[in-house]
Amino acid sequence: MALHLPYWPTDYLKRAEPALKNQPLALYERIKGGLRLAALDPEGLQNGLRLGQNLADARAIWPQLTVREIDRPRLEAAFGDFADWHSNASPLVSVMTDVSRFGDLVLDITGVSHLFEGEARMLSKLIIRLRALGYRVSGAIAPTIGAAWAISHFARSQVVGDDNLVTLLDALPVAALRLEEAQLLTLTQMGLKTVGQLRQYPRKPLQARFGASLLIRLDQAFGEIEERMTPRLPLVEYFAERRFADPISLMDDVLRTVHDLAVKLKETLEAQGLGAQAFHLFLYRVDHKVMTLSLNAGRVTRDPDHIADLFHHRSQRLEAEYDPGFGIDMVRLAASSTDRLDAVQTGAFSIEEGTEDIDRLNDRLTSRLGPLAVLRTELVASRLPERAARLVPVQSGAAVPAIAAPVLQRPLKLLPAPEAVAIMAEVPHGLPASMVWRGETYRLVRGQGPERLGGEWWRKGERLKLVEPDPKKPKPYEPALPQFNPDAGTRDYYVVEDQHGSRFWVFRQGLYGSKNPTWYLHGFFP
Amino acid sequence: MSAPDRQQRLAALRDTIADIERKPALAEAANRPRSEPGAFPALPSGLVQEVYANGARDSGASLAFALTQAKSLLTTRRSTIYYVQLAHEGKHLGLPYGPGLSWFGINPEKLVIVRVADMTEFLWATEEATACRAVAAIIAEVRGASKLLNFTASRRLSLRASANRVSLFMLRYGTRRESSAGHLRWQIMPQRSGRHAFDDRAPGKARWRLKLERGRIAGNQMDWMLEARKNGFAIFSQPAGLGQSQAQTPVLGAPPALLAHRLSQAS
Repeated sequence: MALHLPYWPTDYLKRAEPALKNQPLALYERIKGGLRLAALDPEGLQNGLRLGQNLADARAIWPQLTVREIDRPRLEAAFGDFADWHSNASPLVSVMTDVSRFGDLVLDITGVSHLFEGEARMLSKLIIRLRALGYRVSGAIAPTIGAAWAISHFARSQVVGDDNLVTLLDALPVAALRLEEAQLLTLTQMGLKTVGQLRQYPRKPLQARFGASLLIRLDQAFGEIEERMTPRLPLVEYFAERRFADPISLMDDVLRTVHDLAVKLKETLEAQGLGAQAFHLFLYRVDHKVMTLSLNAGRVTRDPDHIADLFHHRSQRLEAEYDPGFGIDMVRLAASSTDRLDAVQTGAFSIEEGTEDIDRLNDRLTSRLGPLAVLRTELVASRLPERAARLVPVQSGAAVPAIAAPVLQRPLKLLPAPEAVAIMAEVPHGLPASMVWRGETYRLVRGQGPERLGGEWWRKGERLKLVEPDPKKPKPYEPALPQFNPDAGTRDYYVVEDQHGSRFWVFRQGLYGSKNPTWYLHGFFP
Repeated sequence: MSAPDRQQRLAALRDTIADIERKPALAEAANRPRSEPGAFPALPSGLVQEVYANGARDSGASLAFALTQAKSLLTTRRSTIYYVQLAHEGKHLGLPYGPGLSWFGINPEKLVIVRVADMTEFLWATEEATACRAVAAIIAEVRGASKLLNFTASRRLSLRASANRVSLFMLRYGTRRESSAGHLRWQIMPQRSGRHAFDDRAPGKARWRLKLERGRIAGNQMDWMLEARKNGFAIFSQPAGLGQSQAQTPVLGAPPALLAHRLSQAS
């Protein structure tokens, strides 16, 4: 099914701003320094205005005209929301951007129309619904996307079957094939006005003159070549939905619905022996907007209580952003990333292990605090202390087998960024004797070190200086990279203790004698 | 009748009365300390302990004190330790460091780090973790003071903690003490470390002085000098004025929050 909204920009603005409702409206655009009309409402067209006209001319023709500058990104985004809202009719919705960035909508209604008591009733229902909202719209249901587009633009709204597709298309002008301006111009010069005439014409000269694109469009319209659409929303196989006769708006009501839907979804999934990891909640607002809420569980699940619980926590986090507008008339809960989940027997012989409870706790924390707030440590094979451990979200898949790192003396706490300190130490090998850190002086009475860690030249895009090769042999390949300075990257780590017993981990970046070695405090020992 | 015999009979009588009244047995009956004379008692789970340190420089010490206790609480059923910190304080206090945990004797995978944005989330996350029966211990670190972290909040946490027998360690800083419903309050002061086995100039095993500011544990002892060992603490010297002669009094355990039959909380 294709829906065509020829006056989308003006209709949308009139709906968004009721003050414009009964005024003639035109949108202009700055093209090469001139102000030209980019969108018009039907009254404007009747009064002799046309697209691309100079703004001054248009004002002269019709002085009462209200004009606005066109805001294409905003219109595009609004049309995207509008398209998403149509997923309450069919899950596969996409915006056709072949000719214009907004105004054309295509829905795949295979296997959906019976929910609306047939194709014809579905079409009229959707069109009437939009007209009631103040949008001028025409639509068509056809076997191919190209044909539906053509008919929605150039014929009255109707359902076309395979039998009368050819006769109807043949009568339409060539512009119905979504062609480029230049191609249309040439076709008119050739005297080919309708699709029928074009189809009678031999194909080879056409291809030579217009390239393959013309023939592809022709074949797509008649279904010789398959055309694909990219749905805006991810396709979900498993979902449960509920429509409301009266719109609901309270978050609590939504959450209660979510629980009911989760129970329904569980039955579907259970029958297939599946569980899911990602859950998406779609709230369809009365004023054609869709709010989506997605979350992930740490392990595959289908437990309705747990799912409802996660959405409950997520909603608390979004309290301020939640805006039901004039109400929500449909709620859909979808599950993706499904995987096998066999039924598990619980009972006398099961071993009580805490892992499941821990996973659930992590899910709850993540759903409210965000995935980057609940972390676990992953050890990395690196010499630099700050690289040797990194924090990853607990939900980030299976734990990698820990690398067998040698257990070194390392502090229990590490500062995220080493802090520069002033340290007095004997040159070159003495232990640090005093330190100034955060404005306080510490007298260091004990120390251990240095533990020397070399810089990792392979991380910085630097080149290691190799031994001078044999001059007789050809020189090996050398990448054009700055040469690695081993002195600057080297760190000497010390464990130090002050007179009161606080124990720190400090290091000196760079060697004495190199440019300017600096001291940093990096961590705290117990 | 000898003294221990008499105590046993008294305890038995108390249990009987409690059973008749369908109330939990007195707290101490359930939580006999596994303490040996001269050692730091093994504190039962389900306690809220506040550990006050002087500043960020001692944050390693207070974390180690909490982790040493938490390590003994890890079981297969309770397999994870949670660490909660305000995200903006991490820059000042540092974060638990994986290789350091390995060095300390804790598998870094057992520690989940939760970084929260504000105090409301902090309390929520702490309470949520306290409510989970698979958590061994929670270590919550707050540097500053907050109006939200008041007596009511700590009462909530302590009730949750004792109901689920999850230990909660609040790592606090500074000299200000707020009213709270925690069971024990410690002040930790690092001491000059012991002698290193091979290097006289190097710091040896960590030593701390711990003052019990609130609550009561075995022996009514208020002041401890502890040395960190592989599996717990060792007392390295008795502060002056405290003898071993005092009678062993039971550890103050977590007062059970649920007024139910005591069998129900045996799990």
